[in-house]
Amino acid sequence: MVYFVNDIITGALIGLLYALVAMGFVVIYRASKVFNFAQGELVIIGGFIVWFTTLQAGLSLWLSIPLSLLLAGFVGYLIERIFLTKLIGESVFSMVMVTVGLLILLRGFVLLLFGPAVRPFPVIFPLKPLFLGDMLIPLNLLIGGIITIVAAAGLSWFFNRTRPGLRMTAVAEDHVVASSMGISVKSSIAFAWVLGAILSTVGAMIFLSGKSLTFLASDIGFAALPVALFAGLESIGGLILAGVIIGIVQSLTTNYLDPVIGGSLGSVVPYIIMLAILLIRPTGLFGWRTIERV
Amino acid sequence: MTYKTHSGLRSLLAVSAIAFATVVPAKVQAETSYNLALLSDFSGPYADIMPVLASGRETVFNWWNETRGKELGVTLNFKNYETRYDAAQVASLWPGIKSELNPIAVVGLGGPDVAALSERLPEDKIPMFMSTAAYGFAWKPDSWIFNPRPTYSHESAGFLSWLRKQRGGDEPIKVAILASEASPAYVDMAKGLELYAEQNPDDIDIVEVIYTEVQPTDLTTQMRRVARSGAEALVIQTNTSIVVAAKRGLQANGANVPIMMSSHNGLPASGGALGGLEQLEGDYEAYGMAIAADEDSPARQFYNTLTSDYGLKAPWNVVTAMGISQGLFVATVIEHAIQENGAEGLTGEAVRKALFSKPITTEETNGFLPTLTFTPDAPFPLEGLKVNIGTVRNGKIVIEATSVDIPVVQKW
Repeated sequence: MVYFVNDIITGALIGLLYALVAMGFVVIYRASKVFNFAQGELVIIGGFIVWFTTLQAGLSLWLSIPLSLLLAGFVGYLIERIFLTKLIGESVFSMVMVTVGLLILLRGFVLLLFGPAVRPFPVIFPLKPLFLGDMLIPLNLLIGGIITIVAAAGLSWFFNRTRPGLRMTAVAEDHVVASSMGISVKSSIAFAWVLGAILSTVGAMIFLSGKSLTFLASDIGFAALPVALFAGLESIGGLILAGVIIGIVQSLTTNYLDPVIGGSLGSVVPYIIMLAILLIRPTGLFGWRTIERV
Repeated sequence: MTYKTHSGLRSLLAVSAIAFATVVPAKVQAETSYNLALLSDFSGPYADIMPVLASGRETVFNWWNETRGKELGVTLNFKNYETRYDAAQVASLWPGIKSELNPIAVVGLGGPDVAALSERLPEDKIPMFMSTAAYGFAWKPDSWIFNPRPTYSHESAGFLSWLRKQRGGDEPIKVAILASEASPAYVDMAKGLELYAEQNPDDIDIVEVIYTEVQPTDLTTQMRRVARSGAEALVIQTNTSIVVAAKRGLQANGANVPIMMSSHNGLPASGGALGGLEQLEGDYEAYGMAIAADEDSPARQFYNTLTSDYGLKAPWNVVTAMGISQGLFVATVIEHAIQENGAEGLTGEAVRKALFSKPITTEETNGFLPTLTFTPDAPFPLEGLKVNIGTVRNGKIVIEATSVDIPVVQKW
């Protein structure tokens, strides 16, 4: 029974990590209606920035973490300025296709700049787990989970209670209408990309702490995809619930079904949930339902 | 100068010209050249080790051209093709490779090359030579794809039998396997060892088989299962990232289960990704090829020759050893084919035939590989199989055991 509860807790914490990465999808989507296929690549860009500032430049963690977040935000800003700002007012499809191109470009850029070698990632969170009686809780995932919940609460408040947040929501509704109301579409979208890149870097720190870094780490972006679609692409608070559900189901499948069937159903089950929810409720659990009056 | 003198000079020039013309074609004939297609992954999952592996095999071909090739009047030309370790990419490149190079042999990299070309090569009559261990799914007679090493499951079975002997006692050794379903080759490695354990319950007891992603999020709970099961060894023959995540998971649980790695995810690569070899103190790498340790050996001496005289820049490690051993394997088979058929008109079919005609001795591969005797029954030697074992002691890779016998593993 202890192990069962332990597996549920660990699953929930891994699900919260997925939710944090998925938050990057949602922030960009809420501000621009663009689904960013390059979210996983933003995670590795963030990871390489952290690696560079700590292990290469030799800065202390207290200095390198804020500096990395700042640099990641700047990269997000640059990406928006170079590739997306010209597409404001164009169809959403063309912007989405740009993110597909970005995925390939950023992966190539990382390979070109840092090479393909597997590198050690700095230990940012303690490696020793927390023991509660017979239960074992990975401390990095626990701290990551707390960060995710705090970030979700902060972003929910920002998008629903502040004027800049509401302006970004208006931009997502319609670029032209928002622009005619005096809202700076460019600034809103740029800010969303800055936020998306920062969230991805935080995700990289939790995901990779004490492990290894290669360009293959971008796969976490695809692992977070079911959480984003399950929650609905507009709901930040919904990500927490979706992440926890998917994480727990995945953990239980990995620990109890996989040994029986001798396979890796655990890595597939989040996508099965995603497809099921898309069939039943295409907008996700908490996504906005658009009512069009003709 | 008289007309007669002119005439004599002309005759002299004509004779010289004829002599030159007869000598030059002879020289051209002496430089018969053949092409090799090298399949590479500079931008896929093995991009981190590819530059080192590539320089190992390419330098061997340069060495061979300068030494053995010169004596035999043959030059081996080679060209790399980027496959991204993707079977679809290999399949789409293959017709172009054939028409561009007309190769007498393909120098392969891994599972996707085998998956993409196993049905085509027999039709095209071009053999492919690998550097890795073999795969159970490719264990068929009359193959055109050949591995100098037996399957990964043979290698892990050999290591585990050795470890059991070291431990002593009659009990089977308890083993956990950490694999991934990301590649059929990874699943194959686990399935083969599972079958061996089933058929040899007194030797090995598989207590856990865990499948994970190629870049796992966290393996703390999975490693807790491994520690709880009383495993005496953890076999990981997939990739470096999984070794790192497993090691962190074991450390988090305060567990010390020795990990066995293979050549492509071995001690130097995994140690580097963990931040230092000392993190892998007491862990092992095991494979049917020379261990790249500090000790002096024929393999190490040959590596030194390649670095000093042929410009090899790669460091002395297992990946370089893989590249060199593959180059030597291919070059020796071609040399045998030339000895049997002459330098002219060599074909892929003749190269394959030469592989079966006589053993490739360990001396011919400078100790990088054991003596290999191929038969048409399997894509790898079925007899005299050996595995070498390396470990980390005091932060250094040392040879723990050499030429350890591999037990009989049934086909799966």
